[in-house]
Amino acid sequence: MFTDVEMMVFMEELEEKIQSINDNVLLLEKDGESPEVIQEIFRAAHTIKGSSGVMGYDKMTSLTHEIENLFDRLRQGTMAVNTYLVDVLFEALDKLKLLKDEISGEAREVQVEDVLQKIRSIQQTGRGVQQPAGGAAAAPAAWTTEGGPDQLDDLILDLVREAEVRGFQAYWVSVEVDSGCQMKNVRAFLVFEALQQLGEIIKSDPPAEAIQDGRYDQGFSVVLLSREDAGQIKTLVMSIAEINSVEVLQLDPGEPNGEAGAGEDETAGQGQAVAVNVAKAVAVTEKTTTIKTVRVDVQKLDTLMNLVSELVIDRTRLDRFVDLFESKYGSEELADNIVEISNHLGQVTTDLQDEIMKARMLPVATVFNRLPRMVRDIAQKLGKEIDFVVEGKETELDRNVIEVIGDPLIHLIRNAIDHGIETTEERERLGKPRQGRVQLKASYVESHIVITLTDDGQGIDVSKLRKKALERGLVKADTLSRLSDREVLDLIFQPGFSTAEEVSDVSGRGVGMDIVKNQIEQINGTVEFSTELGRGTIFQIKLPLTLVIIRALMVGMGDQVYAFPLSNVMETLAIKPSEIKIIRSSEVIVVRGGVLPLLRLSAFFQVESANSGGKLYVVVLGSGKKRIGVVVDRLLGEQEIVIKSLGKYLGQMTGLSGATILGDGRVALIIDAKGIVADTSKEEIAYAN
Amino acid sequence: MDNPGGINSVEQVVVFNLHDQVYGINIESVLEIIRTESVTRVPGTPEFIEGVINLRGRVIPIMDLCKRFNMPPAEISDATRVIIVEAGGVTVGMIVDQVSEVLRIPSSSVEPPPAMIAGSSVEALKGIALVEDKLVILLDLGKVLYDEEKTRLQGFGG
Repeated sequence: MFTDVEMMVFMEELEEKIQSINDNVLLLEKDGESPEVIQEIFRAAHTIKGSSGVMGYDKMTSLTHEIENLFDRLRQGTMAVNTYLVDVLFEALDKLKLLKDEISGEAREVQVEDVLQKIRSIQQTGRGVQQPAGGAAAAPAAWTTEGGPDQLDDLILDLVREAEVRGFQAYWVSVEVDSGCQMKNVRAFLVFEALQQLGEIIKSDPPAEAIQDGRYDQGFSVVLLSREDAGQIKTLVMSIAEINSVEVLQLDPGEPNGEAGAGEDETAGQGQAVAVNVAKAVAVTEKTTTIKTVRVDVQKLDTLMNLVSELVIDRTRLDRFVDLFESKYGSEELADNIVEISNHLGQVTTDLQDEIMKARMLPVATVFNRLPRMVRDIAQKLGKEIDFVVEGKETELDRNVIEVIGDPLIHLIRNAIDHGIETTEERERLGKPRQGRVQLKASYVESHIVITLTDDGQGIDVSKLRKKALERGLVKADTLSRLSDREVLDLIFQPGFSTAEEVSDVSGRGVGMDIVKNQIEQINGTVEFSTELGRGTIFQIKLPLTLVIIRALMVGMGDQVYAFPLSNVMETLAIKPSEIKIIRSSEVIVVRGGVLPLLRLSAFFQVESANSGGKLYVVVLGSGKKRIGVVVDRLLGEQEIVIKSLGKYLGQMTGLSGATILGDGRVALIIDAKGIVADTSKEEIAYAN
Repeated sequence: MDNPGGINSVEQVVVFNLHDQVYGINIESVLEIIRTESVTRVPGTPEFIEGVINLRGRVIPIMDLCKRFNMPPAEISDATRVIIVEAGGVTVGMIVDQVSEVLRIPSSSVEPPPAMIAGSSVEALKGIALVEDKLVILLDLGKVLYDEEKTRLQGFGG
């Protein structure tokens, strides 16, 4: 059986190749046939076929085999791409994903027969079904028997000469596999498969069986008869993953020495001998740029982060000690030294912290890559034509943020296509381009990432919104007339608001914009939009780069320190106790003509307050449109804090969203500002009733 | 390892005092023993939860084991320690009056808990061991952490 590591490598490669096919089929549909794209899909299918074959996943092998065959036709120009073909390809791709899930145990027994049938029938009905002339391309089928090369061993030179007469060239191909390669047998199988695309392998060293079982060191070599030139052979083999270098030398049967000469002195008269010098024949090798990455458990990164925070705390303590030291022995050299060491340590810890933060980042591509396919499916279902443009895929975000952002984005895009973009006929009538344009763009703005979704559809009709809001009973008629257009537009974020004329299965299933807004606010993001009737709508989502570190306002309460996330702090006020008024047994103050309900943190948390009359400090918290003032003892200032969980044992605590560790090593609690605002507002409503 | 029915199985137990009573917990669940440090109170927790501390960058809840067993709260002295334990996937610190030793206790000297022990919650007891003329009350850590207070904690959390 295969080890877990092999399995993981296989699954990762599978994932990558499926994504590659997906992307390229989309390209194929968008830009029409291009040799590069077809070649790319062919290769990806081919790779999956090879590795799934070795792993023994027969259904996957036969499916990719058919895809490969289909693209072979396309490649040779004996068939053309059409919409039906693309549809079937996507169906096949979905099956492939299901098969992958089947392997990982996430899906049940998957049937592939129907889609296989479809692919085959496309091939049969395709025009000009014929084998291309020339033996080179015809070779693959004949070369699956492994015993072949050995039988030919003695006849090698004759064969080379004979082939030359038929217009073939003999090549000595030496392949070096990456030293970290986990599945040498698979790589070898793929190389053999690739080479057999180009011609006949008549000799290999070590023997084919040994190679395909992975019993070889760093590399292996074969003698190949082909009509292609050396460059092409090299390119094809290099396209296989984990191949370090490939050397291709043309063999001359008349003078059996390898032509490359350099470093080949001891080459004996036969191709067999040529093949031995794998290690030495590095003259023309080409190093691939292998991606140097490792996969790390997020847990490990968190642990690292914890350790760094510890280091930061110790450094802060050292700082204090240094101050003391300096004031005592200020003029001595020793004091200078320790100041210097402390400063350097500070620099290094800060850098370390930054780097670890970065290590937690992922490109948004992990989410964005899923979208083009979805857009295509929705557009097709709705009979609309969409030009979907994605920019800034490489923008990096904390992985926690990435995990959450997918759903709201999908929802917004669905909305844009379903409600935003007009039907093709409508667009033509309006003199707009037939294709609706939906643009998704990610970019950095200061310490945030901004994702914008722009469509050139019909925009949002404020008068329709007003009507809807009344029908749904979201606002009373007299309130509505007082609302500005902007305020009316923001009603779309209210629960139970959907402007879809009718419920379709694309959007309007009750999950509305309120969920989108909620999800984004969950991760300390904001969502805003602007719209122009007839011209389109722009949604702008602003997200923090990370969820682990936030800016916070630190306050003192008794002898304890609490942190308020700065994103929810609107302002701070200093008030006299006499300014507090009582309305229906609740304390409020009047700020710039508005009534602000007050919450005493000491009462809320039932902790003692160290305030001895005199001035009161109020932190004004806001979430959405709601505001409350929280009365605290002291304001201590702003600070960047690392958010830590209170742990499973305590679980979710009312009013708290976590904890952080202060410079002196003590724990400070982080206030759940949104929760407190929501809770208090609920009470307000209860009072109002 | 855990072989309560075995005739000669021996359990290693960390022995500590709560007031004048001697308690023991299996050493396998003990991560480390630290001195008390500044504890941050967490509002809304049961009374026996003293608060949270910073254990090398991790925020760990601390309980007063005396309060947990409905005894008067532990008196903080030089001998006071916090035993950091791990059970059921959670890490918790327990304040005890004093940690005295690690004992090897053969299962043969463990008696089932009596019906009533003054001040303690009987359900958290695993047994009573008589070792070197000392009576050691063995605790079932899972129940200490999770028995009744689990429901209480959930009540607070909701």
